[in-house]
Amino acid sequence: MLTALVIDDEQFAREELTALIEEQCEVAIEVIATCNNAIEGLKKLNQLKPDVIFLDIQMPQITGIEMLAMLDPDTMPKVVFVTAYDEYALQAFEDNAFDYILKPVEPNRLEKTLKRIQASQKVDDYQVLTDKPLSLIPCAGFNRYVLLKPSEIEVAYSDPSGVHIIGNQPNSHENSCSLSLKVLEDKTELLRCHRQYLINPNAIREIRLLDNALAEIITSSGAVAPVSRRYLKVLKDRFQLG
Amino acid sequence: MELIFSLLQQLSVYLVIAYLLSKTPLFMPLTTLSGHFSQRLACYVVFSLFCIMGTYFGLAIENAIANTRAIGAVMGGLLGGPFVGFAVGFTGGIHRYSMGGFTDVACAISTTAEGVLGGLVHLYFMRRGLVEKIFNPLIAFAVLLVAEVMQMSIILIVAQPFEQSFELVKTIALPMIIANSVGAALFMSIIQDRKTIYEKYSASFSSKALTIAERTVGILSSGFNEKNTQKIAEIIYEETGVGAVSITDREKILAFIGIGDDHHLPGTLISSLHTKQAIENGELIFADGYEVAYQCSIKSNCKLGAALIIPLLDSEGSVLGTIKLYEPKQKLFSSLNQSLGEGLAKLLSNQILSSRYLEQQTLLTQAELRLLQAQVNPHFLFNALNTISAVIRRDPDRARQLIQHLSQFFRRNLKHNIESVKIEDELQHIHAYLEIELARFSDRLKVNINIDEQLLAQYVPTFTLQPLVENAIKHGTSTLLENGVIDVTGYLENGQVVLKVIDNAGTYCLSDKELATGLGLQIVDKRIKNSFGENFGLTMLCQPGISTRAEIKFPFVSENT
Repeated sequence: MLTALVIDDEQFAREELTALIEEQCEVAIEVIATCNNAIEGLKKLNQLKPDVIFLDIQMPQITGIEMLAMLDPDTMPKVVFVTAYDEYALQAFEDNAFDYILKPVEPNRLEKTLKRIQASQKVDDYQVLTDKPLSLIPCAGFNRYVLLKPSEIEVAYSDPSGVHIIGNQPNSHENSCSLSLKVLEDKTELLRCHRQYLINPNAIREIRLLDNALAEIITSSGAVAPVSRRYLKVLKDRFQLG
Repeated sequence: MELIFSLLQQLSVYLVIAYLLSKTPLFMPLTTLSGHFSQRLACYVVFSLFCIMGTYFGLAIENAIANTRAIGAVMGGLLGGPFVGFAVGFTGGIHRYSMGGFTDVACAISTTAEGVLGGLVHLYFMRRGLVEKIFNPLIAFAVLLVAEVMQMSIILIVAQPFEQSFELVKTIALPMIIANSVGAALFMSIIQDRKTIYEKYSASFSSKALTIAERTVGILSSGFNEKNTQKIAEIIYEETGVGAVSITDREKILAFIGIGDDHHLPGTLISSLHTKQAIENGELIFADGYEVAYQCSIKSNCKLGAALIIPLLDSEGSVLGTIKLYEPKQKLFSSLNQSLGEGLAKLLSNQILSSRYLEQQTLLTQAELRLLQAQVNPHFLFNALNTISAVIRRDPDRARQLIQHLSQFFRRNLKHNIESVKIEDELQHIHAYLEIELARFSDRLKVNINIDEQLLAQYVPTFTLQPLVENAIKHGTSTLLENGVIDVTGYLENGQVVLKVIDNAGTYCLSDKELATGLGLQIVDKRIKNSFGENFGLTMLCQPGISTRAEIKFPFVSENT
């Protein structure tokens, strides 16, 4: 049994696709959740770890393609793009043999796509679509979404409860983020300073050297991030500190 | 004393020749101080001739010549500059030297020196920007006076034996100084007169040309047709005072005014061979009635006796038509009107071109509108269909309604030809559109429409409000995660209708330049301006993250008018 997540900003579109997926009986697949935007989608994706996501492209704030760029390629589920009309994206899907379906969805086409997904072992490389650096980092605070620009992030760190972000704005302290540190490191300016910490090089005010070749970084707004032995050397090289 | 009169007598002949020459085109360059090579050459040639003539007209006295040679040299220098002055003086000097006599060397030297003196005075005034002074006869008088005194001194110094030269100078000094100075002043006065006449001519030419240009501006902007060319022909007829004016296109007479307008009727096909030739070859034809015979091709007893036919050319040089100026038999074409005619043809050609450009722009706007109408956003269409197919599952009646709204929306879009509609109709159009969009964004869009009832019967250009609402959804509320609100309001303010479409996204913040290139909104603005004037139109106001407001203003038209 495959598990699926439907991400679309239109309620009727979600309902229709879910109904169509459940109506067909060729492939055993269950829609375990639906989300009405990409931020919600990222959160559910981390929680539920579905096998397949049905991803609408035109969505508010963060488009389907932008969301794709935020996923860690190592843990990425299979992706089926869903769109009503988007010349440029369709061309890219065709060129790279990515799975996509068009709205209104044809049941036959949907079945074919599902069968292909079930049979295929290949991992798609979405780099053509996702090569650009991220422009917005979605974070979930308490009862709200926060979209941070990478330049507004000072520190990102992970702990057993997930990834957290410390921003430089007074209201953006401590947000939890659905992106992995690896994605943040690859797609933004943030630098690794510790196995569990990323630091924005533009936010460093002070690098305080400690015993045992350790260090800690104080940021412009006073946050503290540890620097491990391994990454201290990298940082020193980067800032050309003997 | 006798010598003075004889010399003045010679001078008179000399000046008569100068006067006659001043009537020829050869003299034209002398009246300007352009400093061009051609002007300098003309100065050199003319004044060298006068220099030599001055020697021939001289009176032989005691193995020397009392003469008016100095006038040529000094005038050459004054009008041509130091180099020309030197060249003229040198030429005159060599000529004098060839005639021999005991003062030959002295005369050659002094003539050259006089030329250079004139040139230096020329230089002095040019450097100070006092160009007019050069043409002042009194200045010429004074320079000649100095020049002659200088010449006498040189004769005294150079010519041998001294006794003989002293005797000579005693005899000729006064007569030559007087004759040469007076001669130069009169000669300069002749040139000055020519210059004044020439300038008056140009001034009247320019003022006529300017008046015509001013009066004809914009007339052709609505097209090169009979009605507009008639107006142009009238203006040209009044301003030039020619016998008749005609304007043709490539096939027929568009306008005709003046003598012979009883048989030269607008709409008549072109029959004149001259005109056909002008159109065929794109060349100007002047049938003056003497060298090139002119006979009206329509009626044999037509009073017109001469015609100037000038082709109207477009930028690629192909002929658009002609403009024809006529004079009756017994009357000569003034050269003023001839050159004016050529200028007019250029002016009209430009006006025709700019009118074509305007026409094309209007067509372009219409084409853009068609595009806007026909260009139903495919994204909208497929999403609408997808929504409807989902609704069918749940609520077939609602789905049926949505299909009706969708077809109403498309039907409206296909009505190409309606220029303007009542606000009421425009609201219905929006309503059909919004029903679909509200279904699509059911959980996160609200639209409030609040239009003052007295505005409902007002006319607006078609597709005024709908693109604004579409814009507010597409670039506004659809980018919000939740709670999109669009307010459509309309009210009367100081006799003006104000329509506003406001969204709560504030994401459509464009610079003026971007607004000017955004097709949809640009067309809305253009069409409002076309209907109501440049003072009205669309303004966009954006507060980032808070709201985007599209506002349209145009005058309220009350029912009675």
